[in-house]
Amino acid sequence: MIITRPEYDPSTRYLSAWSKSLIDTAEKKGLEVIDLHKEKAAKNEFEGRVKKKNPSLVVLNGHGTQACVTGHNNEVLVEAGKNSYLLAEKVTYAVSCSSAAVLGEEVAITANTAYIGYRDDFVFPFSQQYVSKPLSDKRAGRCLEVSNQVVLSLLKGNSCSESVGRSKQLAQKHISSLLTSNAGPEAAFDARILWWNLQQQVCLGDGSKTI
Amino acid sequence: MEKQLANNSLPDEEIRKLVIARLKVLSSDTSISIGSDGSFSRDELIDKIETDDPVGRKFEQIELEWLRSWKANAYGGV
Repeated sequence: MIITRPEYDPSTRYLSAWSKSLIDTAEKKGLEVIDLHKEKAAKNEFEGRVKKKNPSLVVLNGHGTQACVTGHNNEVLVEAGKNSYLLAEKVTYAVSCSSAAVLGEEVAITANTAYIGYRDDFVFPFSQQYVSKPLSDKRAGRCLEVSNQVVLSLLKGNSCSESVGRSKQLAQKHISSLLTSNAGPEAAFDARILWWNLQQQVCLGDGSKTI
Repeated sequence: MEKQLANNSLPDEEIRKLVIARLKVLSSDTSISIGSDGSFSRDELIDKIETDDPVGRKFEQIELEWLRSWKANAYGGV
């Protein structure tokens, strides 16, 4: 498994921190994990490692557009029409806004390939007081746990479609819990964000593929 | 995008007021990460909506689609 964890703004700091547990889980299951953290989340490093290791699972955390996903300091790592072939015959999960719309569609054309991602922006709420300690932020944690569920389910041997289904189930559980709680206006706000991500999350290509 | 956000029954200005009112009741500690646009505090987001910035319009879209989903559920998709 290759995972990218750029860290250069609040959004990427949160994604990086909440992804650490995925690395621990994968390693406990005996998977080799290549962690492209901070400056290592660079195009040369990413391309080299993917070509050399040919991982079954690629997890991309970072910003992006419809056509690309970026790494540290917004450097483009993988882009439609350029180097998307790197993701052929793999399972990719991109926690990055909008990349499923173009990059994902292009990657998923190849047989025996799956691309899980978001058709529009991936959004999450957070509390200013926790910016320096993201793992203590329960509001962000709900969205990021839902996202992590995709990878945790894949690591358990479930298919891509099943893994997306489990992630969506967890989102629905959190939404129901928030809407029936007395947690104030923040709960309703956070429910709307979870619902938005749930609508945008898709599995393209071979949904029956496992890692 | 502008047309996508247009609501069948409410003018844009009314939608804007509704979304801002819902944001103002949140704690000032609330921030939001919106994709590649970055992260914004509650007050920055309100400002983006008031100035009709693309980030503000994106957030209006999130609110509107949420409300439409409730309407669809309540009226069986009619």
